[in-house]
Amino acid sequence: MLEPKQMSRLLIAASRDQMAPVIAELYRHNLFHIEDYVDAGAEGYEGFKIGTPLSGASEKSADLVKIRAIANTIAVHADDVDAKPSCSMDELHTKIERDLPSLEREVEELTARRLKLEMRAKELEQKIAEITPFADIPVDMNLYHGYQRFTTIAGYISREVSLYVPHEMHLSKGKDRNFLVVIFPTEQKGEVDKALAEAGFQPVPVPEESGSARGRIEFYSGETAALHKEIAEINRQLGDVKQKHAAFLVACEELLKAEVDQTEAPLRFATTKQTFVAEGWVPVDKVAAVTNSLVYVTEGKVFVTVVPTDFEHDKVPVEYNNPDFAKPTQVLMDVYSRPRYTEIDPTLMISIVFPLFFGLILGDVGYGLILLAMTFGLRKFIKGVDGQYMLDVLRNASISSIFFGLLYSEFLGFAIPGLKPVLFSRHMMAEAAEGEAMASHGPMIPELIILSVWIGILHVTLGRILGILNHARQDHGEHRIKAMLANFGWIAVMWGLLVVIWSIAPMPLMPDLTGLPAVVSIINIGGIAGIVFAVLGILLIARDSVLEVVELPTIISHVLSYARIVAVGFSSVAIAMVINFMAVGMLIEPQLENFSIFSIFIIIAGLVVFLLGHALNTVLGILGGGLHSIRLHYVEFFTKFYKGGGVKYIPFGMKRRFTED
Amino acid sequence: MAAEAVVAAVDVGMTVEQIKATQIGFKAIAASIAVGSTGIASAIAETAIGSAAVGATAENKDVFGLVLLLTVIPETIVIFGLVVALLLLFV
Repeated sequence: MLEPKQMSRLLIAASRDQMAPVIAELYRHNLFHIEDYVDAGAEGYEGFKIGTPLSGASEKSADLVKIRAIANTIAVHADDVDAKPSCSMDELHTKIERDLPSLEREVEELTARRLKLEMRAKELEQKIAEITPFADIPVDMNLYHGYQRFTTIAGYISREVSLYVPHEMHLSKGKDRNFLVVIFPTEQKGEVDKALAEAGFQPVPVPEESGSARGRIEFYSGETAALHKEIAEINRQLGDVKQKHAAFLVACEELLKAEVDQTEAPLRFATTKQTFVAEGWVPVDKVAAVTNSLVYVTEGKVFVTVVPTDFEHDKVPVEYNNPDFAKPTQVLMDVYSRPRYTEIDPTLMISIVFPLFFGLILGDVGYGLILLAMTFGLRKFIKGVDGQYMLDVLRNASISSIFFGLLYSEFLGFAIPGLKPVLFSRHMMAEAAEGEAMASHGPMIPELIILSVWIGILHVTLGRILGILNHARQDHGEHRIKAMLANFGWIAVMWGLLVVIWSIAPMPLMPDLTGLPAVVSIINIGGIAGIVFAVLGILLIARDSVLEVVELPTIISHVLSYARIVAVGFSSVAIAMVINFMAVGMLIEPQLENFSIFSIFIIIAGLVVFLLGHALNTVLGILGGGLHSIRLHYVEFFTKFYKGGGVKYIPFGMKRRFTED
Repeated sequence: MAAEAVVAAVDVGMTVEQIKATQIGFKAIAASIAVGSTGIASAIAETAIGSAAVGATAENKDVFGLVLLLTVIPETIVIFGLVVALLLLFV
């Protein structure tokens, strides 16, 4: 929690004949993050070379490429297929040998035929496009060619043209330009070309066809339609192949990928003629298990040891270590950047605070329920791990939205009857409850804004405290103390300014220090203390880096940025209320009072406005609530302590979904 | 407020109701300027970031999440405008 999984650097050395069992065992464990060996003459690695793949690598790679090509052609993705181990490895191997060549041939033949048909269809469409301009000219297309002394020219021209040579001309007028066909004696071609060029003539080829142009177009159109029908039939056959073989293909892909990974693993090891050395990372608690099983499969002919970690130079891979409910939030972390190994991992905090922010922004029971239903509905369509995690995040957010909706007493922008807002009201046209001042004057904007500013103050302070901790963990020597104090300085400046503000003006929901004994004009003792605190903070910041002082205004802008929690949320409430007013107040209610046959249509229109409007507002709500909540984390919170840039922990192995080990 | 309104009403020859209505009207205009101008400012800032973001995503799809965030950063401007407008209208 709050820090990545502890890793140990493991060094495995053995003779070459143990390579295959060691690789197989490491792959089975799916725990060993291989540190690729680079042939750069590192200390202690003189004379080592990058290894060569195990036998059978190229055949398996070729098979894998074939399978992927087929899967690609018929659009099969592992994510779309439900996971179930279908058969054992031996069965699959025999199936690959028996079925793969015929399947490959079948798919290849079908796609080759489809390609041929598509090309033919394109050719015909091209022909149709060429003939189309001639359709308006009532001349048999036979008459355009076959002369020895005459030439035919066709093309587009912007205006009419007169030729002073013997000729026959057909002009069909179009909207923007005219189509022209001219037949003239070949010896006068020069003059004709000149005259046409002056009129801005654009020639098109004269098609070698016979019969009427319209007739030809009809004929070719018929042929293309037949071709498209055939293509559709082939697509249907490919669909059948997909349905029949999808499970087999994904299982084969998985099996072969595992085998190719294993046969190619030596490319990442350091080897000599007789031995090999593999280095990598294993979670601390798994070291014993991995070591023991390696010793077991090689009958003791292996040397495994834990090498001490060098935090300065080693790039330790980072694997999250979070409780189950926080795991989905890792997706949001990876979007920004994975934490470094030595850094505090804030995933757990985001998993709690992100839904809270989302709920504060989109606090509405109706929208929350819609989103909740959506997350359950989409689960059927989104199958990847990341997608599922994203849905989990959205689910948590929507539950929080329902919770805050109850506190705000909001349902699709309406007030929930009989439920007074526990939290400050966001209703714009809130009706005055009897003898109650709270909800009588619309939304409680100042209170809401100050609430969100409080959230900002606390969130930013937490960020700075984490900054102090991170510097304490990561830095060394003099810089460590300076950086820690600078982070404390930022906290001091912020709270100092706050105390000054409190001592000058009273504000709702904030401590009132105006009653303290005055010193100079409006500055009282509290104010003096605040100023001292702020100046001390600035000095501490400047001591670490003078340039940082330029950033001081971010204290105010970052804290005020949290006002978006109210502003974005309030805009969503406003849109909902406008939709309700338009649909119910303007369209439905007046019709219900004076009901007539015609009213039905207006009521239906009102319902359409209601549904479309709230659908739009739901989308805006996800965007507003989600993006702004996460942005508050990334920009305002993370900049205080978080660097990121850790290497992802990718263990050598795979989670088998379709095959059994 | 009321006393000032009465004084002002006497000065310019308007009734107190007219003065109040004018005040509400000016508040509404001020709020609309606050939201409108900051909205335009955000839009101008986001055009440059947005086009760069689309370019970066075309080069490397992995940066989509990050550039989406960079694109919404200038929204802070319009949020401040909205906060100011809300304060004008409701406080």
